Amino acid sequence: MQDPWPSSTSPIQRLVEAFHRLPGIGPKSAQRLAYYILRAPEEEARALAEALLEVKERVVLCSRCQDITEQDPCRICLDTSRDRTSICVVEEPLDLRAIERTRGYHGLFHVLHGVISPADGVGPEDLKIAELLARLRDVDHDATEVIVATNPNLEGEATAMYLGRLLTPLGIRVTRLARGLPAGADLEYADDVTLGRALEFRQVVE
Amino acid sequence: MHLSGLSLTNVRSFRRLDLELRPGMHVIAGPNGSGKSNLLEAIALLATTRSVRAAADADLISWDALRDEPLPVGRLSAQVASREGPVTVEVVIAARAGLEGQPAAATRRFRVNGVARRASDLIGRLRVVLFSADDLGIIDGAPAARRRYLDVTISQLDPTYVRALQRYQRVLQQRNSLLRRLQERRGAPNELDFWDQELAESGATVLTARAATLAALATGASARYVDLAPAGEELAICYRPALPPPLTDLVSEPAAALAPRFLETLNELRRRDIQAGATRIGPHRDDVTFLLGGHPAGVSASRGQQRSAALALRLAEVALSTQRTGDAPVLLLDDVLSELDAARRARVLATAYEVDQVFITTPDPDRPSVDELPSARRYQLVSGAVRPIEDAAG
Ligand SMILES: [Zn+2]
Repeated sequence: MQDPWPSSTSPIQRLVEAFHRLPGIGPKSAQRLAYYILRAPEEEARALAEALLEVKERVVLCSRCQDITEQDPCRICLDTSRDRTSICVVEEPLDLRAIERTRGYHGLFHVLHGVISPADGVGPEDLKIAELLARLRDVDHDATEVIVATNPNLEGEATAMYLGRLLTPLGIRVTRLARGLPAGADLEYADDVTLGRALEFRQVVE
Repeated sequence: MHLSGLSLTNVRSFRRLDLELRPGMHVIAGPNGSGKSNLLEAIALLATTRSVRAAADADLISWDALRDEPLPVGRLSAQVASREGPVTVEVVIAARAGLEGQPAAATRRFRVNGVARRASDLIGRLRVVLFSADDLGIIDGAPAARRRYLDVTISQLDPTYVRALQRYQRVLQQRNSLLRRLQERRGAPNELDFWDQELAESGATVLTARAATLAALATGASARYVDLAPAGEELAICYRPALPPPLTDLVSEPAAALAPRFLETLNELRRRDIQAGATRIGPHRDDVTFLLGGHPAGVSASRGQQRSAALALRLAEVALSTQRTGDAPVLLLDDVLSELDAARRARVLATAYEVDQVFITTPDPDRPSVDELPSARRYQLVSGAVRPIEDAAG
């Protein structure tokens, strides 16, 4: 593998820059983290490095639902007790976990890994939509309903409408979470009761 | 309504300022560059959440704090007494110290009564009308200055306008990005459907609110212009929405009537929008024309006429704000009196007596004179501190 960093930069500088690339980490925090690692016992640094590598080596995307998993297909996709007529489409793996926590949904999932947002350069072709179509035609052809559980904001609504247009002609009922969720709120942070109710009172996408 | 307290920390020239305030007139004297305008700008920012001068947010933070502190924070807060009861509004601007050669980036947070809120929840809790020398830009500046004037004015009167405007701006940004993708032959034109629908709906709300408010302001301003310039021509103010002719008439109808026609027109113009890679109609391209005796005031009127027109517009804004809410806004007069003759100054001061609280800045402590404003409390602004001038305060 090619070293992305020129050899002239010092190891500590490389670490600061690596932390700075992480979401939510500013230059100050990146420095603080790097100096923490520098002072920490070697085992701690080694454990962190191994955890980082392991997550890249062992965690893959499920070939059906695109959720992150250590086994492919994932546990949910293989679970024969789940309702295979329903697929709940979410933006990110964390949203899937939020819905699982409600214990109110027993169907399958599909993770888009994003949402339509032209300003961020994300169009439908950049999401896992082709993968959704493929499974609806093949392994999950029993599915009759797709519940679009994207966040209640402009981009989430745009994605829901796009999926409605795409899937309704295939004879699939496309529904959207009820508007009980506070507008602009992230699914990930919604409480279980609110999210459960939004799922229960879902509406057909026009 | 009036401010009962104001505190500023690390805002422009103020490291720390705490003022207890009462209703009535406040004259703040200080030499040029002492920060008088910054004080009024800070009050206006607490009302509108926007900086008057459209500068970067980080520029609002005191220069000393930007230089000395790793995470400089500017904090503005005001206690407001209004008909709806007391409320505390707070704006916090946090910057990352600029890396060498880079401007500092800033984030803004808002609180109402100590609870974190969105900007749209804060706007309107405090209403102000700011008169400043920059008002001439409304008459002779670029169309963007007039749209900004309308947006700031209507936002304070109508909280739903702020939300519609924010949604419109976000949809517009998404739609323009998509148009540029389509121009490069990426994606399919029917991906525009969702954004067109949203643009038409939020756009119609913005357009109809602008038309209605401007019509009311125009009537008020024309009447006041006659007072300010008795021998002058008639002042007419017209809204010029950037829509094709059959749609322009619909802006005075309810938004629900305009939205479907706006959407149809977007569909008709879709191919041209894709070619241009930009949305070519809608409120982001609106303008307002000021006519004096039928001629555009921005080009053909004298400086004095333009000043009177801007003044008439602001005075109309005070009346409209009072009429719509039943509670007079706080008046901020940023060194505008010195440029006016005695008759016009009297007109402005007459309006000042009709509201609960007025802040007047002046470079000359003797103007406006004690004779002109006998009841005013007088202050001197020296090196970031506001001190009462005892003998004049009475
Ligand atoms: Zn799976």
